Amino acid sequence: MNKFVLKRIKDLFWVLAIAGLIVGIGRFAFGLGASTNMMDSLPWGLWKIFNMVAGAALATSGFVLASVIYILQLDKFKPVARLSIVIGFLGYGSSLTALVFDVGLPHRGWHPLFMWNPHSFLFEVFWCVSCYWSITALELVPIITERFRLNKFTHFMHEIMLPFVILGITLSTMHHSSLGSLFLASPTRLHALWHTMWLPPEFFLSAMGAGLALIIFVSLGCAWLYGRKIDMKILGALAKVQAVILLIYLVVKVIDLTVHGKWNYLFGADATWEAGVFAVEILLQAIAPVTILLVPRLRKQVPWLWVASISALIGLTLHRLDTGIVGYYRSAGQIYLPNLSEYILSFGVLSAAGLIFFFLVERFHIFDAPEDEAHHDEEETPHVEGAQGPIPVFWSRDEARTVFFARGAARIATIVVLIIPVTWVCLDQEATGAFRPIADPVVAPIGLDPLRATLRIDGNLAAEAVDFPHEKHKTELGGDASCIKCHHLSLPNDNSTACYKCHRDMGTFTDIFDHDAHQMRHGGDDSCATCHDPDLSEAADTAKACIECHAENMEGLEKQHLKGYSHVAAGYKVAMHGLCITCHRLKEKDPADPLGMGNCQKCHPLGE
Amino acid sequence: MSRPLSDRKPMMKGILTDVTKCIGCERCVEACTQVNKLSHDFPAHFKAGDGLSGQRFTSIVKTPGKKAGSWSMVRRQCMHCVEPSCVSACLVGAFVKRPDGPVEYDASKCIGCRYCMLACPFMIPRYEYEEQLPYVRKCKMNEECRVAGGMPACTSICPTGATIFGPREKLIDEARRRIREKPDLYIDHIFGEHEFGGTSVIYISDVPLGAPLRMPTKEEFAKRAVPRMAEGESIPDSIHDWVLVTPFQFLGVFTGLFGTWLFRRRSKLMAEKRRQEMEAAAEAEADSGDLADPMFRIVEPPIDGEDR
Repeated sequence: MNKFVLKRIKDLFWVLAIAGLIVGIGRFAFGLGASTNMMDSLPWGLWKIFNMVAGAALATSGFVLASVIYILQLDKFKPVARLSIVIGFLGYGSSLTALVFDVGLPHRGWHPLFMWNPHSFLFEVFWCVSCYWSITALELVPIITERFRLNKFTHFMHEIMLPFVILGITLSTMHHSSLGSLFLASPTRLHALWHTMWLPPEFFLSAMGAGLALIIFVSLGCAWLYGRKIDMKILGALAKVQAVILLIYLVVKVIDLTVHGKWNYLFGADATWEAGVFAVEILLQAIAPVTILLVPRLRKQVPWLWVASISALIGLTLHRLDTGIVGYYRSAGQIYLPNLSEYILSFGVLSAAGLIFFFLVERFHIFDAPEDEAHHDEEETPHVEGAQGPIPVFWSRDEARTVFFARGAARIATIVVLIIPVTWVCLDQEATGAFRPIADPVVAPIGLDPLRATLRIDGNLAAEAVDFPHEKHKTELGGDASCIKCHHLSLPNDNSTACYKCHRDMGTFTDIFDHDAHQMRHGGDDSCATCHDPDLSEAADTAKACIECHAENMEGLEKQHLKGYSHVAAGYKVAMHGLCITCHRLKEKDPADPLGMGNCQKCHPLGE
Repeated sequence: MSRPLSDRKPMMKGILTDVTKCIGCERCVEACTQVNKLSHDFPAHFKAGDGLSGQRFTSIVKTPGKKAGSWSMVRRQCMHCVEPSCVSACLVGAFVKRPDGPVEYDASKCIGCRYCMLACPFMIPRYEYEEQLPYVRKCKMNEECRVAGGMPACTSICPTGATIFGPREKLIDEARRRIREKPDLYIDHIFGEHEFGGTSVIYISDVPLGAPLRMPTKEEFAKRAVPRMAEGESIPDSIHDWVLVTPFQFLGVFTGLFGTWLFRRRSKLMAEKRRQEMEAAAEAEADSGDLADPMFRIVEPPIDGEDR
């Protein structure tokens, strides 16, 4: 046991953590401007890029190993399962802690829970990271409780774990790519070497590689500090996987540079000092580790494992710093270098996480689960070596029951986890509406018309539903290509153009009352009293309301539509919504129709 | 009735700045400072960079003029994009593009993550780093800075009419008219008509404005491997495909993991069952063998070929 080194490392961590705490208090006392070098042209500094973007990537091991152990059920990796959980929990915890200091108004950290903008990749990152961190905390709970002999509770936690593990892995795959998508928003500001539309998959691949590198690094470090035996079988296998992932990353990167024609930024006429930074980064991040780890002989030697994992860790950190900070230097015209307090807080937070790590490792069973801690399905799934024979694809209901719904708690946990995406898709119309592809036909909110030629919408957001002839609008505006004339899906809360934006004359009242026609029908000059009160002056205000005679045409109308329309014909909106068109439609079917009221072209000549 | 696309947002107001008319007097900056009650400070061009800050929503930057040794003055302000990157970037939706033009910032929602500052291609939003409770600040172009007559203070005060306010479509027509009348003077390009999906604040000029406005040309867009943006695609549109992937990614990965788990678990259980059956069969075979007593077999295991 290397007690001396361990003690010195702990001393260093304590110093850094306390210094970081002081700097953190200073940041709140004096503000961001006084304690950091961040500036308007480079608004994201060390705390966000190093602690959050790089830190989250390094803590990937949790989800990679969770998927290997829980999903693929490769039991040989179980010895590092708990280590990866602890790394994930502490890594994300330290990232979120650094964010508290970085964000301008951290007391509003709850805002994204209620104020949604599903278009924002940062929104997705926020949700996934906070959910995922909660899940790692949940995974940590049984490790803590087993020490206190809370056997029943520990057993319960083990039982409900699987669905949450699956949710955690899903959230991980999402936010690791989304962390890359954050920088897609800077197509002109970020240097062309780092900006590519392939940032999401590249971030995902490199994060997985680096997460494995971190778990190798920590395993080696703990073996050295605590004098433990190094399990080369596991580490070698992890290193092999890491090498393959980083090789894929390297290939993707090369294809990316080729397809997007960016080699000239690296070697050609446009090569600047950024090319050197990029070269160092890719060398450390991928080329060196891949070269070392792909050679089986080197992979089995501890010194080479050290070199490869440290190189991969530094390389990934460089890559994130370059993408988030260095790549912006040229367009900003200014250079951001963190000041001392930013460094101290960054490393202080990491040191605090390191101290917690040592505490957990020394007080709890992290490296090897206790013997009596039976894995939750141990008795059902004994280790089976060399299972032979074809595997049936279908299973009977009883078998599925034993496989999947074995226990009540597990079943409830599964249902709870499944409810989350379903609720998300069904209930949040803003989210689903926002994600609807542009070319899709509009879906009728209320099943009015199976062909969807007509939709019942709240066109003016006035809580008044109208039947909107969607197909007709589409045809008149130019067919399938015309969707974008009304649907602007790239902006939140702007899924369609409100009716009044085009039909601005809808609400205007127009006097189309044909006085002469009414007079003629009712008996010429003697008929005034039919509508006008003889005691009053003969004016529009004093005449009978239209509805008193034409009640049968206005049955479907709401009373408020008629308010004030007693003497003038209503505007287009009310007319189209039943006041006039109903009667005109009826007249269309009437063969007599003396006034030609059913003949549209009487008032609307062709071509108008 | 339905109107053509060009008239789709007839209400959208904007600002047209004619760089050839600007004399750089900075009265717009002063008017903006007064009407927004910003703190008094040195005139913008004494400060580093483009002069915008949490206390300066507009500024005048110098750029080399057409004649050698001369300077052109370019007014910087929020471009009030038609499809703003900040609106799609803000995770709490604090930014809203109003149909009548302004991109508004709701300080009561902001959490201070500064992603809008990173996402804005024109580098417009500025942060009050010096404050303890800092907010994002930028040009408003809404009722708060309009003076009598409905115009923003900066445009109404301009002594040469270099910057004017009105419906965006009409401003574009006016810009076209000016370029048509003096084709020798102007560059035949309306800056902001199509860049980044179009902006409400547009410019015409006799010198290239790419550098002072941070507005790349088509060639630069193409060289940076974002060719669709060269055709006027906005940033929200360009990343929209990745936004669309997200829900499918969620459901796909989730289902895939559950499926894989079930499959693996099933195969493990099957293998275990088969092993038990084989054991049982072996036992049964042993039971039916010559030696009825299993204990006897254990004591004397059957001897096979090796011994012979």
